[in-house]
Amino acid sequence: MKRYVYILMAIAIGVFPLVVENTFYIYLAQTVAFTSIAVIGLNILLGLSGQMSLGQAGFYAVGAYASAILATNYGWPLYAAIPFALIVSGIAGTLVGLVALRTRGLYLAMATLAFGFIVEILSQRWVDLTGGTMGLMGVPTLDFGNFRMGPIYFFWVAGFTWLFVQIGSDYVFSSRWGRSLLAIKDSESFAQTVGLNVPIWRTGVFVLSAVLTGLAGTFFAHQNGFISSDAFSIQLSIALLVAVVIGGLGRSYGPVLGTLILLAIDEGTASLHDVSLMIYGGILLFVLLGFPEGAIGLVRKLMPSILSRALMAVPSSPAAAPLEEVFSQNRRRESVGLSIEAISKSYSGILAAQNVNLSVAPGTIHALIGPNGAGKSTVINVIAGLYGADSGRIRLGETYLTKLPAHKRARLGLARTFQNLQLIGSLPVLDNVLLGMERNVPRAGGFWRWLVDTNHERIARGQAMSILQFLGIEELAGHYPADLSYGHRKLVELARAVAQQPKVMLLDEPVAGINTHEVKEIGEAILKLRELGITVLLVEHNMDFVMRISDHITVLDYGLVIADGDPAEVRANPKVIEAYLGVEEETT
Amino acid sequence: MLDTYLQILVSGLAMGAIYTLTAKGLFIAHLATHKLNFGQGDFLMVGAFLSMSLIIAGIPVLLAALLVLIALGLLGWGLERLVIRPLDRFGISGGSTYSWILTTAGVALILQNIAELVWGKSSHYSPPLFSEGRDNVIEIAGINMFVEEILVIGFAAVVVAFFYYMLFRTRWGRAVYTVAFNPEAAMLLGINVRRTVVLVFVLASLLAGISGILVGPLITIHPHIGLMFTIKALAVAAIGGFSNPLGILIGGVLFGVAEAFSNYYDSAFGDLYPLIFVLVFLVFRPSGLFSEAQADVR
Repeated sequence: MKRYVYILMAIAIGVFPLVVENTFYIYLAQTVAFTSIAVIGLNILLGLSGQMSLGQAGFYAVGAYASAILATNYGWPLYAAIPFALIVSGIAGTLVGLVALRTRGLYLAMATLAFGFIVEILSQRWVDLTGGTMGLMGVPTLDFGNFRMGPIYFFWVAGFTWLFVQIGSDYVFSSRWGRSLLAIKDSESFAQTVGLNVPIWRTGVFVLSAVLTGLAGTFFAHQNGFISSDAFSIQLSIALLVAVVIGGLGRSYGPVLGTLILLAIDEGTASLHDVSLMIYGGILLFVLLGFPEGAIGLVRKLMPSILSRALMAVPSSPAAAPLEEVFSQNRRRESVGLSIEAISKSYSGILAAQNVNLSVAPGTIHALIGPNGAGKSTVINVIAGLYGADSGRIRLGETYLTKLPAHKRARLGLARTFQNLQLIGSLPVLDNVLLGMERNVPRAGGFWRWLVDTNHERIARGQAMSILQFLGIEELAGHYPADLSYGHRKLVELARAVAQQPKVMLLDEPVAGINTHEVKEIGEAILKLRELGITVLLVEHNMDFVMRISDHITVLDYGLVIADGDPAEVRANPKVIEAYLGVEEETT
Repeated sequence: MLDTYLQILVSGLAMGAIYTLTAKGLFIAHLATHKLNFGQGDFLMVGAFLSMSLIIAGIPVLLAALLVLIALGLLGWGLERLVIRPLDRFGISGGSTYSWILTTAGVALILQNIAELVWGKSSHYSPPLFSEGRDNVIEIAGINMFVEEILVIGFAAVVVAFFYYMLFRTRWGRAVYTVAFNPEAAMLLGINVRRTVVLVFVLASLLAGISGILVGPLITIHPHIGLMFTIKALAVAAIGGFSNPLGILIGGVLFGVAEAFSNYYDSAFGDLYPLIFVLVFLVFRPSGLFSEAQADVR
């Protein structure tokens, strides 16, 4: 289906300048095409990865100036100047991305605002290089030496480049890439525990958005043969944000629609030049307060349902793959144990874990219990790599994990669930499970398969379905996490962890706060995991549950191991009884 | 030579005091709501223009200041009521978590445009508040200083002291910290969360107004100075980590002084160096001067 849409768009781009002979419209269409590219970059940055940038004009200026200066002052041909300008934009993106890595939300907005401001000042005042407000004259235009046909050629290049970028954006939005970015946006600690290298992803997105924005800047530089610093003010950054917001933030077709609407408004109100800022501000308020889903959201509401179904073919619930296929790898593998050797961890002087030793035998269910504040969650987080240990070592099978970041531990076969659930609210259940599978799905040829196949993730979806079936919740596949009961959400988290095909699973309070029936279901699911050869370490307060399913129990109190043994031994241990008696009322 | 340095130091302290006041507004709003006004600098610009017009019209300075503060208080109230609170109803599903950045920036654009229409696009000089002329100097220990600057520093210090008193010694200050800690718990404790939040934005905008009144005579004002103040106030608040009021005071003063000296040594790009320095600083101390980095673990 989408192949035909793309072919139609390509034909439209090819025919447009031949049918529309009015050069003014061709000029506008050029501007829509290359501005959309910058807006797509911002849409991926803000809409998918959730990183706010108020300084996109900076990247635009860097791309425009790099290409214009090289071509004008140094006589570089455009086919060399433009790619080089993209590299320069990418470098600028990396630098800002490094600041972005260390900061979040508000700080990031501030840092990017400052970046845009700095570039604006430099382009105004570094007159020797940029020509300042007087501008650079005689910048070569992209017309392939043909003055009369130049605008048409320019439109074709810009138009096809846009189409190419748009297809790339569609791919990102409907594949594992977009899913991973949404996961990082929602919760970074969660993203790490499914094996995503968060810093690389976040910087990578910044670089991508900088390069796309710089690309738009190079088109701008070679459109008119003249650029001046006036074009790169904060107003441009705001305009790009306005475009992405009007179109529909986080929708793949938002940028092109938003750019079209914004430029139409710009042209329609050209005579009202005095109030242009007010119009921009008014649009921002009107859209964000009235229609936060933007034009795409409106179009979806108004479009006849048959058409929308055909265009946005969401793969129907896939048939479940046989479970054997899903776990074939596990079966072939030996079970692996986990050992924690003399781990200590303190928070500003308070010892949460003191010299904790724990040995989880391969293929068993091991429980870590203790009164509130005993240090159980600390131990789990230290094993998963979200906290660094002050001393001690962690070994998974024969591999020492102590120095590895969380995402590498996840890739080695360590999966976990969270005490406070971490599900990605903007994705349906099945996609949440798919997030766990990213490491195991073959990646080669992903783009081409996506291009020709409406259901390109058929195999992975089948497997995810089968995991849901395994846990008895296949009917929830299409629901969003917010619509599920607490117990069901716990099961979905478990399904996501299972999808990682882990060797060892860490379960942080798997049955806290759910009803007796659901406790039973989860208990059975955990026993089934053991049958599959997965080693389980769980933290839990529900003693009946722990005593029923555990092979081995370790008891912590005040950060110290006070007992260790099988359920019967632990139950009879006087130290354990003492530790629990004093807090009986609180723990219930 | 020493004279020059001391004069630069005093100018730097005066601007630093302005940045600190503006940044306090960002800090208090962010503390209570995790949101702030990206048009804080534009509110300052409005304050500066209003006070200029009123004083030129012959209204006594104190009355003019009072009128400006009433106007800015209303602006702050309207901002919270009309473009920040309504976003709550979309929850996480609509738009982005940071919609408030764009709506407050939208208000800033509208204010800039109104200022352009009322006062024109060119630069203006505001009459001095305290002294008779713009260039009125006073000799302290044998060095000539601008009276205006000295008094701005003194007045800003009083406002900052009052701000600390409000925050740490009054019921209202405790309410702000309670709301910051947990709005639901605050509600259960009988604190009127909505009123506290509105008051916080009113106070933030009053601080921008005071800054605007004070800064008018020190610089030339035009409708687009706001962005620069927003950026610098954000930078100053970031040095303090948005959580430590003392850090903001130190950050503001350091920033103002550093900027004054940097402008002295490089008149073309002097204002950029402190900003670049803050960006680099954020890479190494992302949560500011005094705060510890907190792991995002749930």
